[in-house]
Amino acid sequence: MADEISYKYAFGTYEDALKMVGVRTESRVAGTVVSGARIQHFAALVHDGNPAYWNLDFATRVWGGLLAPPGLLMGWLIPQPWFPDGVRPTAGIAIRVPLPGKTFVNASNEAEFLIPVVEGDRLSVVEEVMSVSPEKTTKLGVGHFIQTLDTFLRDDGAVVALNRNTLFRFDPASSARGS
Amino acid sequence: MAFDWHALSIPVDLPEVVDQISYERVVMNAAATWDYFPGHFDPEYAKRQGHPTIFVNTMHLAGFVDRVVTDWAGPYSRVVRRKIALMGSIYAGDTMIGRGMATAKRCNTSGSKPQYLIDLEIGVSNQRGELCCPAEVTLEVLEP
Repeated sequence: MADEISYKYAFGTYEDALKMVGVRTESRVAGTVVSGARIQHFAALVHDGNPAYWNLDFATRVWGGLLAPPGLLMGWLIPQPWFPDGVRPTAGIAIRVPLPGKTFVNASNEAEFLIPVVEGDRLSVVEEVMSVSPEKTTKLGVGHFIQTLDTFLRDDGAVVALNRNTLFRFDPASSARGS
Repeated sequence: MAFDWHALSIPVDLPEVVDQISYERVVMNAAATWDYFPGHFDPEYAKRQGHPTIFVNTMHLAGFVDRVVTDWAGPYSRVVRRKIALMGSIYAGDTMIGRGMATAKRCNTSGSKPQYLIDLEIGVSNQRGELCCPAEVTLEVLEP
């Protein structure tokens, strides 16, 4: 079913996964700076008329520039889905934890926004695997919960946000029943 | 009228925010966040994973929660912490309903200048009344 996977998963056992707990990635820098176009497309998606996203004069006076919507935090470090050199995009560290599950769904997320991020900031992220749960059964299927911590930095080294995410990597209940 | 943190009495309910999520919005979700997990754009993939169709991602839900609180508190406010649990998905064709309540206000004086904070509890439900995404938010309100 490789055609179902657009991001490269690592497969392995729970014991393999536990070896990744505590692993921190090298800092990964966003390919482009925080842009007004993406700020406003996200605000349009959410139907959010906050002038911090739309009114440059207001946003500059109050926040120092068009404000990056806090909800878009993770999006600044998602790579483009295609590159001209043919290199596949790097999936987040949670996907690279080796486990049996063929798919995933996000379970929870906690973010702290320490410093406002504004248009023109160049962000980077350091990702860390905090924990991998033993096998759990949910209504979706059987799998493992993976907790990660992303530290987002500005290019002057300031930590702007912390993002703790829990993802459920699982085999859907229907396929687990052998259908 | 400017939002007045000092005059705010707690607890207080926030106005309900209702948003209908069409297929276009779910596709826009993938495009706006660059999250091309196939469950956000491919209905056949979503069905194979046990979902009725494509669904919005965590960033969209987070953005909606943020909108519920900053629509209420105004543009001199900013989300400084948000915790969400993804209990159910919002699918194309669903309606997202955001309701919430401010439960506490406090002034953090540990930094160089006082930070005026409000704690809120928000719930995002679908049109069937199922709670899909409970959230805790802390909002900072700038002094006017």
